[in-house]
Order: sequence, then C-alpha cells, then structure tokens
Amino acid sequence: MTEILIKNGFVFDPLNKINGEKMDIAIKNGKIVESVNEQKAKKIDAAGLTVMPGGVDIHTHIAGGEVNTGRMIRPEDHVKDVVSKTSITRSGTGYSIPSTFVTGYRYAKMGYTTVMNPSMAPLGAKHTHEELNDIPLLDKATFPLLGDWWFVLEHLQRGDLEGCARHVAWMLETTKGYAIKIVNPGGLESWGFGRNVHSIDDTVPNFDITPRDIMCGLAKVNKMLNLPHSIHLHTNNLGIPGNYVTTLETMKALENVPTDGRPTCHITHLQFSSFAGDNWGNMKSAAEEISKYINNHNHITFDMGQIVFTDTTTMTADGPFEFTLYQLSGHKWVNTDVETETSGGIIPMHYKRTSAVNALQWSIGLELALLVEDPWKVFMTTDHPNAGPFFAYPKIMAWLISKKARMATLAKCHKKAQKRSLLPSVKRELSLYELAIVTRAGQAKALGLKNKGHLGVGADADIAIYDINPEKIDVAKKYKTARKAFGNAAYTIKDGKIVVKDGEVVQHTDGKTMWLDVKTAEQLKVDEEMKLKFKKYWTVEYENYPVYDHYVKVPEIISVKASV
Amino acid sequence: MIVLTPLKKFQFPIHAECINPDVFQGKSVEEIASLQVWEGNRQKKLGDIFKIEATTHETPNITINGDVSEVRRIGQGMKNGEIVINGDAGMHTGEKMAGGKITINGNAGGWTGSSMKKGLIEIHGNASDYLASPYRGSTEGMRGGKIVVDGNVGSDSGSHLRGGLIKIKGSAGPFLGFHMSDGTIHVEKNAASRLGANMTGGKIVVSGSVDELMPTFTIDSIKPKVKIDDTETAQGPFYVFLGDLAEKGNGKLFISKANNAQLGPIYEKYL
Amino acid sequence: MSVINAVTCPICGCLCDDIEVTVVNNEVVKVKNGCAVCEAKYMGYKSEHRIRQPLVRKEGKLVPVSMDEAIHKAAEILANANYPVLYGWSSTNCEAQRVGVELAEEVGGVLDNTAVVCHGPSLMGTQEVGIPTSTLGQIRHRADLIIYWGCDPWSAHPRHLERYTTFTEGRFEDSEWKSYINKVKAVAGKKKLLSAQRVEPHKKPHETVAESLIFNKPPETLQKEGRKLIVVDVRKSMTAEMADYFIQVQPGKDYELMQAIRALIKDEELDVEQVAGVPVDYLREVVDALISCKFGVIFFGMGLTQSAGKFRNIEVAISLIRDLNSRTKFLIMPMRGHFNVSGANIVSAWQTGYAFGVDFSLGYPRYNPGETTSMDVLLRGESDATLVIAADPGATFPKKAIQHMVKHPLIVIDPHLNATAMLGDVVIPSAFVGIEVSGTAYRMDNVPLPLKKVVEPPEGILTDEEILKKILEEVRIIKSKRDEKTEAP
Repeated sequence: MTEILIKNGFVFDPLNKINGEKMDIAIKNGKIVESVNEQKAKKIDAAGLTVMPGGVDIHTHIAGGEVNTGRMIRPEDHVKDVVSKTSITRSGTGYSIPSTFVTGYRYAKMGYTTVMNPSMAPLGAKHTHEELNDIPLLDKATFPLLGDWWFVLEHLQRGDLEGCARHVAWMLETTKGYAIKIVNPGGLESWGFGRNVHSIDDTVPNFDITPRDIMCGLAKVNKMLNLPHSIHLHTNNLGIPGNYVTTLETMKALENVPTDGRPTCHITHLQFSSFAGDNWGNMKSAAEEISKYINNHNHITFDMGQIVFTDTTTMTADGPFEFTLYQLSGHKWVNTDVETETSGGIIPMHYKRTSAVNALQWSIGLELALLVEDPWKVFMTTDHPNAGPFFAYPKIMAWLISKKARMATLAKCHKKAQKRSLLPSVKRELSLYELAIVTRAGQAKALGLKNKGHLGVGADADIAIYDINPEKIDVAKKYKTARKAFGNAAYTIKDGKIVVKDGEVVQHTDGKTMWLDVKTAEQLKVDEEMKLKFKKYWTVEYENYPVYDHYVKVPEIISVKASV
Repeated sequence: MIVLTPLKKFQFPIHAECINPDVFQGKSVEEIASLQVWEGNRQKKLGDIFKIEATTHETPNITINGDVSEVRRIGQGMKNGEIVINGDAGMHTGEKMAGGKITINGNAGGWTGSSMKKGLIEIHGNASDYLASPYRGSTEGMRGGKIVVDGNVGSDSGSHLRGGLIKIKGSAGPFLGFHMSDGTIHVEKNAASRLGANMTGGKIVVSGSVDELMPTFTIDSIKPKVKIDDTETAQGPFYVFLGDLAEKGNGKLFISKANNAQLGPIYEKYL
Repeated sequence: MSVINAVTCPICGCLCDDIEVTVVNNEVVKVKNGCAVCEAKYMGYKSEHRIRQPLVRKEGKLVPVSMDEAIHKAAEILANANYPVLYGWSSTNCEAQRVGVELAEEVGGVLDNTAVVCHGPSLMGTQEVGIPTSTLGQIRHRADLIIYWGCDPWSAHPRHLERYTTFTEGRFEDSEWKSYINKVKAVAGKKKLLSAQRVEPHKKPHETVAESLIFNKPPETLQKEGRKLIVVDVRKSMTAEMADYFIQVQPGKDYELMQAIRALIKDEELDVEQVAGVPVDYLREVVDALISCKFGVIFFGMGLTQSAGKFRNIEVAISLIRDLNSRTKFLIMPMRGHFNVSGANIVSAWQTGYAFGVDFSLGYPRYNPGETTSMDVLLRGESDATLVIAADPGATFPKKAIQHMVKHPLIVIDPHLNATAMLGDVVIPSAFVGIEVSGTAYRMDNVPLPLKKVVEPPEGILTDEEILKKILEEVRIIKSKRDEKTEAP
C-alpha cells in the first residue's frame, strides 16, 4: 500500500491537543504512523493549508427503509439536482435525500469520512445494511431503534435490567448495530393505536411503564453493556412549543443513572427540543435555559439539528410527531409503523427565513451551540435531512466561526424572529480548533471511536485538508472563503487513499461498516420459548430475522465486554 | 429569424432545451449549430440533426418546419421571443415558460406548458395529457399566462392550476383541472369524467356536455353567463356547482344547462 | 434427505417465510406450510420448459451457443444501442437488481420493472400524497377493521388472511377464523341449494335492483367488537363471500365512491342519492364503521391500480386514509404481486432516487411515467434494443409494444422458454431465484427477507447476478475499444 506524507500543513487535532501547529502527517497501510520513508512516500504539499482529521457525523439519516421511502415519494426533489456518471463515479440524484452513491461523494467532498445512521427499525436492518454497502468513501455505523421494542418494555416493566441488557446485546449483534437509539420513548408504542405520550411520566397504553422508566432503564443497560456510545435520545414532545420543560426533566431524570465519568445520554437534534412558549404564535427560544443546565452538568452531549433555509424532507421514527406536521402542513405524509418495534413518518418541509417559526428555529440551533461553553458537548448536525441536507454544513460552519455570517443571515429573517433571537448578544466565534471538535473530534469521542477524529499514531488515516491558511486569513471575517473551502476539500484521504482532490472524487473505495459484538457473561438463550415468542410477536421466522454476515460488505467488528 | 428543419425522422428522443430564443439571442448560425443536444443516449450538436438557416425576418425568432414530436423541451423556461413550430411538437414544450409566445401548428406532446408562469402557447392541433400540469410529485401548477388549444386535450390537464387561462376549443379528457386552486379553464365542447376532482378554487367552464359529475359537487345556482377573461364571456345558462366537497373546496364548475339535460332532474330540486 | 425450514416462498408479495422443504438427491420431494401455488412451484418448477443452454438466433432460428458467445452478443447489442430498454426484474433477487441498475447506467438505457403494469400507479399515487402504512405484523396485532379493495387475496395471495389479517392471532386482536369458517360453510351450502333448485343455468332469475340493494345493506356486525372484514370489488370474489360486508362497486367507479366517502367523513352533504351503485344512506353507515374502529386498514390490488383513473385511484384512496386519521388510526397497503417487485423498486430508488421507469440516456437518472416508462417507450417505437429479465412481457404487454420490441434485437434472461424468450435473439438460461439461488427479496410491506437455495441449479446454469455481471464487464470492454478507436485519429 502507498505511503503518504502530508507536509507542512496547519494541523488541528484537538484530541491530541494540536492547535494549528505546522507539522507533517505520515500514512502507511491506511493508518497514521510516526514516519514514512520520505523518498518513497507520495508527498502532499499542505503548506498554507488546514489539516484536520476526517469529519465525523454523529447523526445523519442516509440509509434504510425510511430514507428510501423518502426518496420514492419525492421525484420533484430529485429532478432539480441530478448527478451524471463519470469514469470513476456512479450517477444519481441529490437534493434532500440523495441516492446512496451521491451521499458518499458529497460527504467526501466536504472532508467527511465517518457517518452514523441513527435510526434503523430492527426488522428492516438488512435493508439498511444493503444501502450502507452502496454508500462509498465513508465508514458507517447504524443504531437500532430500541426504546419501544416490546422486549425492552416488558423487561423494564418487570424491573429485569439484566434480562433487558442481554436482549439489547443480542439485538445489537443481530442487527449489526452500534448504539441504542431511543425515539420519543413510549410514544411510538402509543402511536400504534394513534395515541402519544405527553410527558416523561405518562403511562404507555397496554404497558405499565413510563418514558422515564424506558430512558433510565436503557441508560443503565447501556452502562451495564459498556457500550462505546451513550444512549442516543430523541426526546418526548419533540417539535412542540413548550417542550424545553420536557427536555429539562429528561436531563434531570438521567442524572440518577450511575456513571463512569462518561456522558450518560446524547440528546440528538436538540434544537427541536428547545422551544419555549405554549403555541406557534408565542414560541420562543429556550436555548438559555437548556444551555445553562448543560453547562452545569456533565452527563449530556448533544447535536444541533441546525435548520438551513431550504426545501427538505423530514423523516423520523417519531410517527406521532410527523402526524402533527401533516396536520399543520397538509403536505404528503408517510407513516410507517413497524410491528413490535417502532414507528416512522415522513413530511417534506420548506424552511423559510420569512417564517417566524422557522427563523426562530434557525436561531435556536446556533444559540445552543454557542451558549454551551464546552465544545466537547456540542456537535454540528442538521439531523440530515430533517433540518436541511448535510451538504449545507459549510454554511453552518461559517455561522459558527463568524458573527458576521450569522448576522448577515439574521438580517434577512422574519422580524419577529429577529426580535426574539439571542444571537445579536452572542459574541462567541468558534476557532478552527473548536470547529474541529464540533465536527469531528468531539463526535468521535462521544461515539467511542478510538481510531477516528484524531491524527495520532495508530488512528485511521482519514484526513481532510482544506484550502484555508489560518496565518493569512481571519475566517471570522472571510467566512465566505472558509465556507467554500469546507465545501470543497483540497484533499480527502480515506484509509490512506486520496479519494477527493480539489473538491472532486478521484478514487472509489467502499468504506467499512462498524458494528458491536457485545459479549455478555451469560449469552441470551434462544430456546424454543424465545422462538415461540418470536412467532407471536413478528411475522417473520426467527431464522430469517438476523442480518447475516454476508449483508455487510466490509465489516469492522468492535468487540465489547459487558459487565453483566 | 432562425429556421430549423429536421434532417430526418427521429426515432430516439431528442432533448433540445437549447431551442429557445433566449439561448439563440446574439448567436451566429455556426454557434447555434454547435449547441449540445441529446439523441437517445448520444450527445450531438444541434447542427447534426437540424438544417439551420438564418433569414432576415425579425419575428418569430425561431421557426421549426417539420415533425419534431420526438424533440423535447423546446422553449423550456423561455422568457422572451417567439417560436413557431410547423409540425407536431414533443413533450415539455414551453415547460416553465416565463414569457414570450409559442405557436404549434400541429399537435402538442405531454406536459406542454407544464408549470408555466407567463406567456402564450397556441396549439392549433390537439394537446396530449398533462397540459400545463406540473411534474410528478409537485403541486407547482401553472401560475399565469394563457394556453389556447384548437383541438382536444388529453387527461389530467390543468392539474394544480394556480392561475392563468387554459382555453380548449375541442373536448377535454378526464381529471381536467385536478386539484386546481385558482385560474380558469374553458372547454368549448365536452368534458370527460372526474372533472374538477379535488379542486379547491378557480373555475372550469364547460359549454358542451359532461360525461358525469363527481358526486362531491353541490349545486349552487343557475347563471346566464360567465366571464372567461377580460376579453371574453361565455354564454349560458350554466348550472353552477361548488366543490370539491372531499377537499372542502370552493371551486366553481359552470356546466351548460342546455347541453346537460340529464342534470336537471337530479339537481334542480335543490335550487 | 434434508429438511430445510424457514424457507421464503418466491411466488407472491406475501413472501411467506415459514415454508419447510424436503430435498432428496437435489430434488424437492415435499413442501409443508405453503399454499397450493407455493407447493406447485416447488414441486413442479423442473417440469416447466427449462432452457438448458444459451441460444442465439441465427438465420431466423434459435440455436445453442457457448455462454461466452451469448454474453458477447448480448453485450454488443446493448453497447451499440442508442436507446435500449432493460425490463423485468421482479422475479429475481436484489443482488441481481443492483447489477441491473449499473448495467442500465453503463449502456444509457431505460431501466424499468414490472411495477409499470401492476403497482406503478400505487407508487405514483404515493408521490402525490404520501402513504400512511405499516408492516404486516402491526395489522396482525391491532387491526379490527380490514378492507380489501379491488383484490381477492383468497385467490391471489392465499395466505394473506391467515398470516397477516383477519385469521391471525394478534396481541390486541383475536383471530376471527371460526366465525368465518361457519360463514364459508353456509355460503357453500347455499350455493349447493341454489344449484339443486336451478333447472337450467340461464334461467336463474336475475336479482332486481331493489333486491340487490337490500342485500347490500350494511349489517349490524360492522359495529361489533373484534375484527371486521369488508370487501369492495366489481364482482363477488371468494374473499367477498366471507366478508361481513361486500360493497359491489360499479366497474370503473371506485374513484367516485372513495371521493364520496371522503366528503361524508368531513360531514358534507351530497346532492346525489347513490354513488357507484351504492346508496348514500348505506355509505353513511360504512363511514360510521370506518371512524368507529380502533385500527383500520385498506389493502388494494390491481382492481384499483389498473382500472379507470389508475394512479388517481390510489391517490384518492390514500387521501381517504389521511382524512380518516383525524378520526382514528387507519393505514393502507398495496397487495404487491411478484415476490420481489418491491425489491426492484427499492434497489432502483436507493441507487437512483426513482423506483421504476428510470431513463439513463442523458447520463443521469430521469423519471417520468408516460415518458420514461418501458411500455410508453415501446408504444412510441423509440427504443432500438431490449433486455428482458425475470419477467414475461411477451405474454403481458400489448401487441403494438411487442411488435416494436421484436423489430430490434431482444435479449432474454430467464430459467424457462417463456413467450418472450421464444421471440428473443439472445436467450440466456438462468437459475431459479429462491429455489436454486439465494439472495434478498422485499415483502409487500417492504420487509427484507432472505431467499434460500434449496437445490443446486443444473450444471452450467448461472444466476441472474452472474450473467449480468458478465454482460456488464463485456459491455465495458466493447465500449473502451470503441473509445480507443474514436480517439486514435
């Protein structure tokens, strides 16, 4: 395999506390090494360029049944953004729900190399993996939806945490998943009969259990299993004015979960859970209340779910929330309930500056990211495609590093939102070092991905090089230059291969799918009783349920030893 | 004026959105001849498939002489100028047109005038399906301008109409004015089933007969005449129906009383 | 002898995966749990007209050739075509469908699957208004009102009722098997009685309109607790015989009927007294049943997708479901026919954004049914080569489309010599997917299931996936040679 030497770049590697030092990075056999033979190695002259670890996205809906149904119902979305075949790349369509190949190319063009697909119905796991195989240039992992799975509800109802843990371990292996995803806990089972839960202490119909029980139970299970990532939570009452109260209660409830010092819970797309007010007319930002809490506690990380003003597609396992959006918009509406496990929904959505609600949502996302002081708790996402397509990230980076960029956008927003926005009072501008935390280092750390998000020896050689000279330009002032550079990486290196040069894909590589093999002391016994239960709960045979090895083209199995 | 003449009968679809006065503007014949088009899956130059000549006439800007029923997207998005097609035109002619005029002295393919915003399309033959209607999955129907068809139109024409006028001198196929919210459609002859289904606003005037009426329209009144646009009024009397009730709609159907005697016994009792 | 359990049946969109197959000496000798169609397929697939060797038409006759020759010939046809159509894809696995998309892209062709003649309109309807749906188990556990509209599962999807709907035991709803068995017996008895009374068949007295209306009055059982079954169809099917209520809709009037129901749900008054042959007073009672159920579902078939109105029928059906959700929980699902037509749509969508009718001629995917769909391309006479795989358009497409298809080179990949293969210029035999080939297929509710290989294919017979990969590779060789030639001078 080729050796590469990246010479004289300004390196931003927060996990190794390297802040813009001019240095060389050596690559051999797809890994970062101490040094390479300078004569033999291919040299990349990075003088005057910014070098970062490859981008890591902790939450992006890119594959599986829900995403694909979104593709199927939106021809009018694809037709405006087509991608032609080249001698290296496949053709496809883009905009809010890009086809699989285009997803890989566009992430790589931004210098991203690792992405998490955060929402997978276990029954459709094979589908998710088939699509992940067709997303090139990226390492991927996927999170099974477990918060409303009947086995979880029944075990937690009985207070049987160990039994629950064994089933969760079995499910992670069976679906080749990476983390426990919880969406509107209790709400999805309720949605089976068209209902919802409205507080963390509502009782789930037909199951004597509350959202609080589910979240805390699974957070404990997560610790018992020693999973690399915390529980990954989409809160109750998401997207509804006044919901910040529920969010605060949720975070408080999780304080009681014993911790080993690492965060207990990742709250995803927090923007959608930080609304004050009690209706759409008087909706306000609760970023101050929420960020104050997070600043004073260490058990929570979150990602932004940042709104971008464009026509996009919302999709979530939160079926009742999508139904609410349908009632508000009358737009085309998909609902996809999954037996025994979860639900789902899709609604196209056009976020407009001229809408007071949308503009306020835009402001809330940035307020959260800037008011939470510790960048290791904050990750940049759009909850792709819910708040906007992922290829809008350069815009968000500009807003984070430049007050000028934020104010330019705010000036075009609805007057009511301008008045209610906290942004004019926020001076903070993220440095490139901090930006590297919120776009890769912090995300890798929160995910427990030891070989990602940094450039230390032994790390995967996943590297982004941007045409930004921090000695020559002040990115806060020249945010447009930075935005362009972040959208078109000078180089993206994946596993030691140059896959993007000057914003163009130059080489194909598959990328791996990472999944957890969780070893519990006592493995789940799949006996006749379990098989019988299987027959009763699902409409497929036990033998046909698992994601067998051949469904993962390039696997990376991460073994975890559970303490149960 | 540029005159285009097909060099052969086309078997494969031709994609030629470059045939547009805005694109031709200021270009020499040679430059026009080298514009890119697609013939099936092969890239060609406009000059490969058309004879291209310039004349000294000012208008129309472009004349096409011959059968271009396989040529798609002529005048797509055009803002100014005039195209005259002496022959049948292909699909998507004048799609998203924002101004100017297209005259088709022949039949028009599907999606002619799709989602148009402004301008005039005159079709002196028949029009196929989806006249003025938006692309699949979109509700962005025609917003303004005028389409006049001398002959008949196919199904699903004027769907999601939001403004402007479609005038059909012949008859219309099923689902005319589907889910329209504004604008006017006038059919001088007959209209097929599912007329105005899901409409929420605007008006459809049928001077001939209707196959049948959707059960989800309710009779409102009988009017002696109805205004089509500033220059024209259709003479009735017309039964006026409101609907579509399934959408709690407020669209209006004006159906000729004289040509639809079958409706009297069902509906007049409610007046 | 080996007994293989949990085999997925490669026939219909039910994709029953509990089949037990017994194999002796590479022969299926016994099939358990399957319906009659399933059993017939596993036991009888070998006796069908199996192609044993690749064939190429020479001087008007199909003659056996080597695999290499057939592959090269097929590749040459596709590489040289200006506007080829690649059609079929429903009776093969997703693995082959993936290669199919790549091949269509490489040759700049029109990639289309059989949805275009069955549930394409369902997908188009979904593009207009979305679709509130679920997996089948959700219905099994929860549905207390099940409606089959324009379909007859008893004949076309024989185990649908027993596995997924009325006759299954769910967590929150019980099976209604017993009451329906009694009903079926009663119907059979009544039929016997009628035939005994009948002197001559043609003298059977016609029901008067009034009688049929009385017969059609909604029964009180529509308001009962527990599962209820309603069938809407143009004729009384076997499924309809079992239903609590059968609504006989006038042919081609489904659209009007559904639109009227929508208006009634919204408490609108109708001026007319009957719609599609059904008195509005009765419809009001049906509406009561719809909004008073706990969890309802409509399954629809080709009676809806292929009758007058086509995708608008589906659009209105889905709109009806949307409206109903403001009153109760209600879902809808298409009764997909071929066992992996859903897979064909799904694979095509994740790679291109579009589920069928994908035109790659401009180098990127384009989609517009009516413009880029195979049937329309053939009817307009635009294509200049066709590849047909895992389908038999020769038996299902209109004559005019077939006439155009055979005017130009035709490649057929199929296990047996079907109507299309007999018209082919290159015929490549393939292994039976789901019997001789494993892989993935998607059920009608988009749940992926593994297909099993239970016996070995005949010697020398390749899988669809292998054949397509070979053609793709050969196409690339031919194209690169052509590019060298054009670049040389």
